Formats: sequence, structure tokens, C-alpha cells
Amino acid sequence: MVQIVVSSVGNSPGEWLLVELQGEMMSRQNAGLAGNLMGDLHYTKEGIPVLIVGHHILYGKQVKLEKPFAVLVKQSGLPQGADVSMESSVQSPTVYTVSALIKKKLIFKTRPKPIITNVPKKV
Amino acid sequence: MRTIEEVQATLQIAKLKEEDFHPTVHCLSFGEHVSSGDYCLMELDETLCKHIEAGKSLTIRGDKEEHAVLCSEDKTYDLKIADTSNLLLFIPGCETPDHFPRDQSAPNLVHAQVWGFSNNYWELRRQHPRLKKLKKLLMEKPYAGLLAGVEEGSDGNTLRYTMEDLLDRIQASEKEILSQLQDIHACEIDGYWRILDFDYEMKLLGHVTQLVDSESWSFSKVPRSVSLQELGPLEPKEMIEHCLNCYGRRYTDEDREVYFALDEDKVCQAMAQMLLQNAVKFNLAEFLEVWQQSVPEGMTTRLDQLRSIALVDRSSRPETISLLRVEDLPEDTLERFSCLFSMREKWTEEDIVPYIQDLCGEKQTTGALLTKYARSSMQNGRKVYNSRRPVAT
Repeated sequence: MVQIVVSSVGNSPGEWLLVELQGEMMSRQNAGLAGNLMGDLHYTKEGIPVLIVGHHILYGKQVKLEKPFAVLVKQSGLPQGADVSMESSVQSPTVYTVSALIKKKLIFKTRPKPIITNVPKKV
Repeated sequence: MRTIEEVQATLQIAKLKEEDFHPTVHCLSFGEHVSSGDYCLMELDETLCKHIEAGKSLTIRGDKEEHAVLCSEDKTYDLKIADTSNLLLFIPGCETPDHFPRDQSAPNLVHAQVWGFSNNYWELRRQHPRLKKLKKLLMEKPYAGLLAGVEEGSDGNTLRYTMEDLLDRIQASEKEILSQLQDIHACEIDGYWRILDFDYEMKLLGHVTQLVDSESWSFSKVPRSVSLQELGPLEPKEMIEHCLNCYGRRYTDEDREVYFALDEDKVCQAMAQMLLQNAVKFNLAEFLEVWQQSVPEGMTTRLDQLRSIALVDRSSRPETISLLRVEDLPEDTLERFSCLFSMREKWTEEDIVPYIQDLCGEKQTTGALLTKYARSSMQNGRKVYNSRRPVAT
């Protein structure tokens, strides 16, 4: 039987925020998402989250999660930089560490409002 | 990096007024490992969340054939992947207005990175652990006393299991395993968990009850030291004590003497099993008589002690009783119902409940189970349940 350990890093993992969006994230040049800008997250004075992504304005709301999430990160079995001898047949068990807990989310469900940027220049 | 002026310009183009918004703005971008990391989201319940916050770890146990389960030190959960049509982004260092510092007036730009994203997550559902395998493993080599023969196999394969071995094979938490071991009267011998051969267990119980009768003790006050002294020559003292612990409750009285109060129900149940296991069924009236005579003086047998152990057939003439133990039935709910309905076409609620009670999930009633897995009808003015699907006869 396979046994995988899920453990916490240190004592209490930090808390992250979840943002839930409808649809997919596509990068403009199809070059992958890593390193790219996503958008600006504003909050109105009443606390309503507003996300400006590309040409869209998304309105959402803050929700406390009934069931919190844990972010699990798989650790490779071998310690980094270790010299693995070929005779070693002991397999380190797979370990997932809990990097963070998520207790609330911003959910953006309303239809994105398009931003019209092609404003005719003032004459 | 995006500047506050660029953010303000975007707001303007979007025809939104800066004064309607909080001065704190989060500028979101994607982190370096957002597409390459090996990560996932797992849904938790309140208990597990506190568990993790306390720094405790969890174990996922699974086999190729079995589903994977997640175990804490005392609970087991079914693990399933749930898909969502939405995209979930997780972002460290991103705050909500209720956590913003008060009295903010100057525009404040915070750069936050989306660490990861997913459109599925692991879903956990609390379940009764599948512990049937535990008894099956221990039954490979029941313990039948020192005179029963050689314990070890010739190739060193002892067919015996330590707790570590059991944790490696059973999809359950350690506490649940320990609880089940107690229920099946297993004991630890030489570091291995052993179930007793039934006849041997009855032999031990017989020694105890005969001693109680011959000494005219009350069965609620069986002295430990005298029992071990008198019965020690017959069987190892540890086994006598194990028997007393299984069938009684240990206590110390005012004189600091240790006694055992034998559990009437447990003793009567064991005697019934001993009588019933030797034949397919018994004449009910005869059984009741013999059963009462077989138990120690002062104990009273009652049919309700045999719920989930034996089944009475009141439709046959004469009425009969046969051994049917819930622990011998299939663990899977669908299989359990199939099995019960193949034994008997129609069941009253009273008769069937002891055999489906253990299947109830958290906050589920036997009534709900019956509604889901059986069909009801009336027979002779009583409500009976039968199978929803055709049963192979």
C-alpha cells in the first residue's frame, strides 16, 4: 500500500487568498503565464472587489469558505543536491507539505464589463 | 513593475472614479512557478483545519485497487477529485478590506503574485474506515494457546502482524484500528496483534465462569489476584487477564483490591454464539432454554442481546434462530443489502436495522438508507422491506 505523508511546514501555515474566476486565463502572446501581469485588484469603499483584467472589469464579492482549502505542494523524494548512490534502493516516501491555508475567497461571477479604449481623440 | 500612475490611468480609461475605491490596490501578476509546480488544493473540514494549524500531519493511504483515503490520527476520509468549471487562483500576501490598516488616505500599491491556479481540488468525505480486512489478516493465524503448536513458519513468514504492519495494509487511522482490535478481542502477544481462536477464547471464558460459580462470587466482583492464582496453572496469566478485560470492566474498591465486573450482555452473547455456531438453525424455544442454563448464575439471557448476532425466524413453525453476525456480512452498502435480501426476501424494520446500522454515514439514519436501497410494502399489516433490484436466487 502506498503511504503519502501530508505535513505542515513549521507550526501554523500562513493564510492565502483565493480568487475564483469564470473561464480561462490566456496569455496574449501564448508565451505562458509565468511572470506576466494579470490585472489590478481594487476594492470599493463598501468592500466590493473589482478586478481589471485586460479589457474587462469584473465585479465580485468576498465569501468566507465553508470548507477551507489547504495548498499542498509535492516535495521530491530526494534531498536537493544529494548524491544518490546507485545501490540505494530505499525510496523516500512521497511528502506533500501544506504551504498555506485558504479561508476566504473573492468570487467574480458577473459578466465582465468591457473597457472601450478606442476613445476618439479630441479635436 | 507597474506604477501607481499606470494603475490610476487604467482606472480612468475604465471610467471608474478613484474616490469610490479604497486607496490600497493590489497589482497582480503570475509567479514564476505558476505552471510548473507540483501542487494541488485540498478541501478541509473544521477538524482537519485545526489539526493542520496545530502542526499535525496526515497520511494518505491507498492501493491500486482501493480508493485512496486520508487519515488523521483518529479519523478516515474518502479522497476524490472534484472538478470545477471555474478557475481558482491562490495568492499569498493579498488582503481584503477588513484587514486593511485604518486611516489610509494615500494611494498604496501592493504587488502580489498568483502563486498557483487550478480547476479542480481534492474533496474529502468522512467515512467509516474499511476495517474488515483487519480481522481477515488476523484470522490467517489465530492464537490458540501455547499448546497449539509451533508459532513460526519454516520460512520465517510468521503470518503475524505488528501495528506498523497493520497501518501499512489497512486504510484507517491508528485509533480506529486500535478500537477495532479491542472490539474483536485481539491482544498483543510478543509485539504482534493476535486474534484468539474462538474455541480457545471460550475455553478461557469457561474457566472464568466456572471459577465464579464454584467460588459463589457475584459476577460483578471477580477478584483479580485469586482468579490469576487459581487459573494460572491452566492457561497463561496474561491470557486469563485478557479474557477478564474483554468480558468485564476492571475496577479497584475501597480496600485497594482489583476486581472485574463481568459484562452480562457480553458473556451471554458469547455463550449464544458458541451454541449457535454448530448448526444452521435451532428450534427457538429449545435454544432459549439451553442458553439460559449455559450462562453463569445470576445472569439473565435476553433476545435483544442478540441483535446483529442472531436472526429469529418467526414465520417458520416451529420458530427458529440462527447465527448471523453483522461483522461477517459485506462491508460495501450495495453488497450488504444484496446479501441480506438474498437471505430473506422481506425484512421488517426491526429485524434489518441491526444489520445496516453500521453503514450509516455521518448524520445519516437507517431510515434514509432503507429509502435509498430498499423498497417498502405492507404485509399482514406490517411494513416490510425488499430489494429494489432483482436478486439472483
